[in-house]
Amino acid sequence: MSREEYQVPNTGSGNSPAIGGGSFNAGQRDFSGESGGGVIYYICGDCAVRVPLERDTPIRCQKCGARVLYKERTKRMVQFEAR
Amino acid sequence: MPHKPPTKEELERRKTVGIHEETVTNVSANDFPMNYPGEDHSWDIEAFKRNFRVEFHQNDPFEASFSLVGCDASIANAFRRIMIADIPTLAVETVFINNNTSVIQDEVLAHRLGLIPFKGGREGLHKFLKWWRRPADESQINNSYYDFNTVLLRLDVRCEHNEDAAPGETDPTKLYKHAHVYARDIEFCPVGRQSRYFSGDDVIAPVHPDILIAKLRPGQEISLTMHMHKGVGSDHAKFSPVATASYRLMPVIQIERPILGADAEKFARCFPRGVIGLEPVTKEEASRKGSGYEGHEGELKAVVVDPMRDTVSRECLRHEEFKGKVKLGRRRDHFIFLVESTGQWESDAIFLEAVAHLKKRAQDLEKQVINMVR
Repeated sequence: MSREEYQVPNTGSGNSPAIGGGSFNAGQRDFSGESGGGVIYYICGDCAVRVPLERDTPIRCQKCGARVLYKERTKRMVQFEAR
Repeated sequence: MPHKPPTKEELERRKTVGIHEETVTNVSANDFPMNYPGEDHSWDIEAFKRNFRVEFHQNDPFEASFSLVGCDASIANAFRRIMIADIPTLAVETVFINNNTSVIQDEVLAHRLGLIPFKGGREGLHKFLKWWRRPADESQINNSYYDFNTVLLRLDVRCEHNEDAAPGETDPTKLYKHAHVYARDIEFCPVGRQSRYFSGDDVIAPVHPDILIAKLRPGQEISLTMHMHKGVGSDHAKFSPVATASYRLMPVIQIERPILGADAEKFARCFPRGVIGLEPVTKEEASRKGSGYEGHEGELKAVVVDPMRDTVSRECLRHEEFKGKVKLGRRRDHFIFLVESTGQWESDAIFLEAVAHLKKRAQDLEKQVINMVR
């Protein structure tokens, strides 16, 4: 598949040939319950600011415009052996 | 032919390891029964008490040097191994990381924290604190932590911009608050009876407060708690109470024939400073026939001053002018120990504890042997 043929997977439409419309689309997941009103925070790769992203907003830092965003670290405690 | 007891020179020769230009000779012990006809070398506690002695050369909290004279290599080596691997100390064992946004990975950070040596009240560390055992049932693990087997530590650091920094400042430690996380930032949280044993000067704290743990930049944070447990060096090197515990054999330097004048100065330079001294030949020596000093009165001769400082580099054996004039060796039953403590124990207490440990082990073994033959 060339670069031009590629279609961005779209969970909303459900008729995209690229993802075949299988069980993946059967149960549409609602993300609004998680992380308060569908807003998920990411970290900007350029300016390290916390970027709130909702569904369908472009993946872009509101402050500096960088397109590389990282997931935040888990809020859970992680246990390690000091060895 | 009746047996003649060995001369002093013969006894000396028997317990000296010969060190030659390219070989080492006479390395193994020979004071065992049936080795020398007519001599009884069976092990005897009274003979051992008569001959054994301990000399301390240096006794500082972090470094002790002492000699065990008149014991076998197996005993000396047992002490060395016990000091490294069997004396219990307290060290960070589990790290619970709530947040770590620094560039250093969680695993690496936990490992670094484990290696930091801690100090604390001696009575609490050695008497009050007991072993922690992982419960057989993993679900009971949270019921296995008590004040007598677990020590809680906390480290909460967040790096911020320093508003008061001078314009054009480039030093990160001045530009930011908490740019460097040091061992002194670790906070001890006493639980239960721990405050009775670990307060004031006896508080559990890093031995060296300036150990750098991580570097941060503004917005980065380290927030974690730690559990310390007792352990032994055979489990992990972080539990070893010594940075190094080693021994070497006492060097022997025998000057067989006189070394005089410029040769003597060259000879002294073959050894570390202070091992060989220069003394003028006395009138009495010069007048003695066959001593090799005849007609050399007033010239400088080489004498052995302090063989303990020698490294036995064998440099003097490489030079033609000293051929046949000097013999190098090591005393087989003279062990010079060097014990370097990491700070939780006094360095001499580590050795005493090793002796007690070996004794207890021997007594345990005796009981089992008695049970075995019963």
